[in-house]
Amino acid sequence: MTLYIRGMLKLDDLSARVGEGDEAKTILNGLSLEVPAGEVHAIMGPNGAGKSTLSYVLTGREGYEASAGSAMLEGEDLLAMEPEERAAKGVFLSFQYPVEIPGVPVMTFVRAAMNAQRKARGEDEISAPDFIKKAREVGAKLKIDADMLKRPVNVGFSGGEKKRLEIFQMMMIEPRFAILDETDSGLDIDALKTVADGVNALRSPDRAMLVITHYQRLLDHIRPDKVHVLAKGRIIKTGGPELAEQLESEGYDGILGEVL
Amino acid sequence: MTLEDVRNQFTDPTPADLQLIARYGELPDDARRARAFEAFAKSGLPNRRMEQWKWTDFRAGASSLETSSGKANVELPLPDNALLLRFDGKRWHLPEKLPTGLNVFEKTEAQALGNAEELPMAALAAGLTGHPKSIDILQVEVTASIEQPVFLDFDFAGREMAFARIAFVVRPQARIDVIEQHRGGAGLSSTIIEFGLQKGAQASRTLLQAGGKEEATAVTAAISLEENARFKQTALGFGAKVARIETRVSYNGPNATASLNAAYLPAPGYHVDFTSNVWHGAESCTTRQLTKGAVPDGGRGVFQGKFHVPRTVGQHTDADMQHKALLLEDGAEVFAKPELEIYADDVECAHGNTSGQLDETALFYMRQRGIPKAEARALLTEAFIVEALATAHDAVKDALNEASRNFLRREG
Repeated sequence: MTLYIRGMLKLDDLSARVGEGDEAKTILNGLSLEVPAGEVHAIMGPNGAGKSTLSYVLTGREGYEASAGSAMLEGEDLLAMEPEERAAKGVFLSFQYPVEIPGVPVMTFVRAAMNAQRKARGEDEISAPDFIKKAREVGAKLKIDADMLKRPVNVGFSGGEKKRLEIFQMMMIEPRFAILDETDSGLDIDALKTVADGVNALRSPDRAMLVITHYQRLLDHIRPDKVHVLAKGRIIKTGGPELAEQLESEGYDGILGEVL
Repeated sequence: MTLEDVRNQFTDPTPADLQLIARYGELPDDARRARAFEAFAKSGLPNRRMEQWKWTDFRAGASSLETSSGKANVELPLPDNALLLRFDGKRWHLPEKLPTGLNVFEKTEAQALGNAEELPMAALAAGLTGHPKSIDILQVEVTASIEQPVFLDFDFAGREMAFARIAFVVRPQARIDVIEQHRGGAGLSSTIIEFGLQKGAQASRTLLQAGGKEEATAVTAAISLEENARFKQTALGFGAKVARIETRVSYNGPNATASLNAAYLPAPGYHVDFTSNVWHGAESCTTRQLTKGAVPDGGRGVFQGKFHVPRTVGQHTDADMQHKALLLEDGAEVFAKPELEIYADDVECAHGNTSGQLDETALFYMRQRGIPKAEARALLTEAFIVEALATAHDAVKDALNEASRNFLRREG
């Protein structure tokens, strides 16, 4: 009998250039990474290391196309898909800077998103009562009141509310592979705890997560299986949770000096 | 004045002008109508050489007058309790019963309530209505608050040209809600709607205009407000080959308010023009104006707005004009001219005018959540438009939003 553990996300020698013509800069430079199903990996790195670029390349944002290498999700080529196709395959990005959508209430938006994904996968739409029930449950866990869900997406929300709404959407959509880009920025300690509880609740053997962060403090609450250090567009070091602590005490300069 | 004299007023009549002159010749002599038609004759069909019509050229849009074959596929539901006044391109049809407080008079001549007749397309309608054999002018007197909305249904199907006129005189403290559906159907049409709001009177006007691709159509409204009167207008225009929806508001008594909201959604090959002029001729009057448009490749939207605040009588005016357009694709055209002409010194007047594209960041955010690009564009655009329609009459608000949604889905 062969035991076969499939990598949920597999990045191989991934490179990306951002900008056009003479302005183009190589941001990702031969990045390789594998996140197996059931695991939570953290990516840490100094400013400008390419953390946000990685999240945009994986989700297909215009202007962030890969120039070389591959990105596979459960054996399928992510880079060949439109952003909405990637979402339907289960890719979710919790944005570092969540976007305001004037005029579209949260409930309308999240339901439209869930149903669009279900439709793309050939599944039935979620019924209105089921949707409302689930939204209430998830909202309660994240301390989001019903009024906030009636307001237009992110319009007039505080930084903390925006981040909680990202996690709300993640818990509603239940993605296969979630990227959390600097979710801890702008959160006070209570909100950080609430958000981390939400993320931990989503840990599951058939789900993987990539937590992108500059600081260690989120990782005190979301214990990663592995920590990768991203610098100059590639992973320069991989370790266990203790690597995050080392980074916190020694700073990036120490690690970068050690490796480069 | 003989018909020959009338014809000589036109310096360079087009075939369409000649058809209009012939139509005028069929009507009995009437001094008031003659003045109106002469006023029209000075310019003929308005054209791009005229400052107020530089973007909306009826002379080019109505070169010869034929029945329009393309009928717009947009329709408002007739609210259950509505009082239907239907104009079939030639005459008005009235409901059998009218509620107490609402009197409708069929007229062969109209008493102008505002200054609409100064405008060439309205002058044309004034000059060509009043046919003795077919009632094309109505005067409605409102003496109480009427709960049922009045539904004006303009259907010109099968006509080469159509001209109609209706006026509402709203007595002190009375109220009326008017819903208008302008379906088009004639090669050239012009309609005048007038409101005379007396002390403390209220009126709302909700309008849907959706004409065919081969027609030139003008809808001109003149609203005069006495002390404490309130007027609320909400319009959705899909346009026609050439369509102009023009509104003139004049404040004749203090503390009156008007809101003018509009949305325009011209499909490729369609043109829609919202032009307005607000005369703050009395103290402490308030105007709120919001116009929004979303235009695909080949569509054309025009916004011309003017607030005029005279020095002597316009003190304490509070007026705000906003125009925001979305250019959905390359090749979309939007022309805007907001004008504030303020001579009084103690006023609050503001205006904003923007045109741009959909927010790429928001589009990506929505697509990341799984919403397909076309759907995301439509949702964002609909959310943008819906604000301008929020003031519509409740009985048709959903239908207006659905009409705009259908348009945006089709364009997506």
